[in-house]
Amino acid sequence: MTAFNVDRVAVGYSNSLIIDELSVSIPKGEITTIIGPNGCGKSTLLKTISRILRAKNGSVILDGHDIHRLGTKEVAKKMAILPQTAEAPGGLTVFELVSYGRFPHQKGFVSLKKEDYTYIHWALDVTGLMAFKDRPIEALSGGQRQRVWIAMALAQDTEILILDEPTTYLDMAHQLDILLLLQKLNREEGRTIVMVLHDLNHASRFSDYLIAMKEGALITEGKPEKVMTCSNLQRVFQIDANLMTCPFSANPICLSYQLCQ
Amino acid sequence: MKLSMTQAQRKVRTKNLWVLTSLVILIVIVFMISMNTGYIKLSPLEVVRTLFGLGTAQQALVLFDFRLPRIVLSILVGMGLAVSGCVLQGVTRNALADPGILGINAGAGLVVMLFISFFPSTTDTPVFMLPILAFTGAGATAAIIYVLSYKRHEGISPIRLLLTGIAVAAGISSATIILTLRLSPENYQFVATWLAGSIWGSNWKFVLSLLPWLIVLLLFVYLKANVLNVLNLGDLTAIGLGASIEKERRILLAAAVGLAGASVSVSGGIGFVGLVGPHLARQLVGARHQVLIPTAALTGALLVLVADTIGRWILQPSEIPAGIVVAIIGAPYFLYLLSRLQD
Repeated sequence: MTAFNVDRVAVGYSNSLIIDELSVSIPKGEITTIIGPNGCGKSTLLKTISRILRAKNGSVILDGHDIHRLGTKEVAKKMAILPQTAEAPGGLTVFELVSYGRFPHQKGFVSLKKEDYTYIHWALDVTGLMAFKDRPIEALSGGQRQRVWIAMALAQDTEILILDEPTTYLDMAHQLDILLLLQKLNREEGRTIVMVLHDLNHASRFSDYLIAMKEGALITEGKPEKVMTCSNLQRVFQIDANLMTCPFSANPICLSYQLCQ
Repeated sequence: MKLSMTQAQRKVRTKNLWVLTSLVILIVIVFMISMNTGYIKLSPLEVVRTLFGLGTAQQALVLFDFRLPRIVLSILVGMGLAVSGCVLQGVTRNALADPGILGINAGAGLVVMLFISFFPSTTDTPVFMLPILAFTGAGATAAIIYVLSYKRHEGISPIRLLLTGIAVAAGISSATIILTLRLSPENYQFVATWLAGSIWGSNWKFVLSLLPWLIVLLLFVYLKANVLNVLNLGDLTAIGLGASIEKERRILLAAAVGLAGASVSVSGGIGFVGLVGPHLARQLVGARHQVLIPTAALTGALLVLVADTIGRWILQPSEIPAGIVVAIIGAPYFLYLLSRLQD
């Protein structure tokens, strides 16, 4: 089962293409992570999948339909996006921001219905934010804020969650905290998660499926043990990696590395 | 699990209701004071009596034909400008967006002024044309600013929008001044007063010409509260939540421009209300537009009403235009906000 089919997409600005002729299928109900060096087009691919960018050629197929043919609210009921730099306007409380996640399900001008409250409370609960729900967002730490944005995406009640570097700027414990939350959502609720991560070890440990990109092209894809190999890392990142097995996930991790000669 | 509002949320709702009620009470108080302010002195009792139709003919004339339309206009103009600023700030995610600072008011003013100088108000002016003229001027200015500050692939950055707006405003103001120099002395006096933002159209015709626009646009904007909430989170998040951002942004900008244009067409160049009103409102009730919009409308109304009352009272028997009084309060406030923007 696939969540998305990316069919020969070309994405870019007027005369420079960032991605050219890229095709990939993203499995349903699994955690997929896109990895690659800076500027390789992984964020661009994520934005194309999430219809923020429109492909010049090719198409992104979601549930058998071209994503740009579907109404944007329809798509928003199927997938939620957590952008890399999400910033809340001043004066919002945690509850208020999370309640905005119900937007695609609301019709015109109506306040929250009982069903909306159910989802909002569930989202606050699962992200451990119940105790903070009436606090202003400015008063929270970076890790808590990131949880609020995830809670908003969860309140959207979508099968698919798309996250652009959800752990950037967080310390190690908070990074793990977010990734474990995503893993729980995937394992317990069967949600499809697609994200970009910079930390290869996190990518390998928490993903079912990895997509490695370089210079706008797909280099390799598959299960972590297939993608996280010395030769692939050499090709993608120009590093000589010293790999071992992660004691927590049994997937390969990189102990240390050097630049290729 | 509780499925409805929690106690804390009910508290917030009660607090918001209190804020709104207090603002209404303040407006009523200033309303009463304003009714007593002017060359002909009336005691509060006389005002009340006259309001209920028990005053003398002269008192009725002063209240119903001079003071009341002016007070009603102040309230409406304050609402229009503040909600316009509120929408601009929400859509551009820029706390400093204000129809005055961005030059939208000046654009509306230029067109209205051109109209006035060609069709002096002594002749039978089609008053109902004024909001349309002002809207044309405001819309043209907004379009110019939009085009100049828009960059492909980047959209509109808040700071570029602001700088472009200030530059365009300066340009329009100079054009206006050059034009005023060619006017006859009487018309010049009139236009200068208008530009300073006196509530010049002090009769019921102007109230009637402004009212339908305001009702329609305020209602429209209020019904878009959910969309404004989402747009205020930034483009990427708004797309993710399923808002058609370009379409919504254009519609809402047009509504903001319409509100500012219609208000300015009767009030003259009142700046800063669109800045101060929504900002105070945000401090009072937070950023949810369902509450923010009505609160901003009331703070704006209060602000212009107070300014107009002070302007009429302080140098009696002559007047200071409300726009100048607002600017005396608003300009330092703008500088204060600007200094906070740096960090």
